[in-house]
Amino acid sequence: MNHCLVLFFQFCKFSVLCFGGGYMLIPLLTAQYVDQEQVLTMSEFGNLCSVAQVTPGPVGLNTATYVGYVNEGFFGALAASLGLIAPTVLIGCSAAAGINRWKDTFLVKGMLKGTRLAAVALIMFAVTIFFGMSVFTRTIPWESFGALFKFERPVLPEGFRVSPAGVLICGATIVLMLKTKLPSTVLLLGAAAAGAVLSFWF
Amino acid sequence: MEIQTLSRARRLLLLYCSFFRITALVVGGGLAMLPVIEEIFVVKYKLLTREELLDMTALTQTVPGIIAINSAVYIGMKVGGVPGALAAAAGAVTPPFTVILIIASLFPHLDPKNRYLLGVFAGIRAAVTGMILVTGCRMFRRSVKTPLEYAAVLVFFALAVMKVSPALLILAAVPFGWCYVWWQTRRLARAGQSADGGKTAAPVDSSVEPRENGGDAK
Repeated sequence: MNHCLVLFFQFCKFSVLCFGGGYMLIPLLTAQYVDQEQVLTMSEFGNLCSVAQVTPGPVGLNTATYVGYVNEGFFGALAASLGLIAPTVLIGCSAAAGINRWKDTFLVKGMLKGTRLAAVALIMFAVTIFFGMSVFTRTIPWESFGALFKFERPVLPEGFRVSPAGVLICGATIVLMLKTKLPSTVLLLGAAAAGAVLSFWF
Repeated sequence: MEIQTLSRARRLLLLYCSFFRITALVVGGGLAMLPVIEEIFVVKYKLLTREELLDMTALTQTVPGIIAINSAVYIGMKVGGVPGALAAAAGAVTPPFTVILIIASLFPHLDPKNRYLLGVFAGIRAAVTGMILVTGCRMFRRSVKTPLEYAAVLVFFALAVMKVSPALLILAAVPFGWCYVWWQTRRLARAGQSADGGKTAAPVDSSVEPRENGGDAK
């Protein structure tokens, strides 16, 4: 029960910090549950995001339910989902009218500007997390790149290489998203089929 | 359908069912819900105008929280007050919660051994990578324009790589934003003074052209 309360408040925190949509949850969740508490491995987290993306419903909510369930079972899932929506309901009910009036004040403008910039940076960071699970075969070894500052050749860890299937599918998705108006469901199903077929060769 | 004559309870039920249907059917994030929201609330029930929906879209992306729930709360609030907001949020939560719960109880570890299933997961992960990259670049193009903003994003990114907690980064971004906006308005005021009133001072944001290539950080 206690753990459920902790989960509830953790997800309240994530919800308040989640500027710019559900993808912002990726860096927040990996920092908490993969790096710090280690209840999930990075590849489990990646699979979890994949499931959250292909099942109906908002990605953030799906991920929250799953993380809650992995942590504490049914009540954990409930606590995490409720935690994610509670701040939104509170903010929405009290400030829905107010924010339009205060939109141009210095405090609100500054806050939105700053958090927007941080959100862009963190979504780019989420991209690098996902690069480590698809385009490359393991997480990007940032610490090895420290050698570049000493003008040395970085030593890449064992098993870190480019995955051809990942590059192909990721590239194809980007091109299709920019050039066509295919719904994301079609893209995801296509990617799933392509992944199964490409697993023959790579 | 004459929505205005509906009783209060029926209104709440309508909100619950509409959002239940939306999140049960729409795959993908909050923004994918928008066309369906428009179809149901603007075209079918005429509870919102297109302008109100546009305002709402902007608002749901500025306030914190995931976009899907933000939209549910604001529409619920508009149609049925606080109980309406609760009903809409509950409706939006129920289907994904149930579906994920079933999947999670069947596969608690998501660590498949089957080669093809592994391939399927790898494929979806790669597609999701591309989708986040495109979303991130679009956000970048929209909100990062001046050199100082480029620098700020770079610093935030570097700090995230160095394992600074993302929560801390967002909190630190708030005072930074205040300083930045204060500095910007001061600079704008000065530019306005030196222009002798002859020319109108260009707003700072558009004084630096957004660079086309810089947007695609990779």
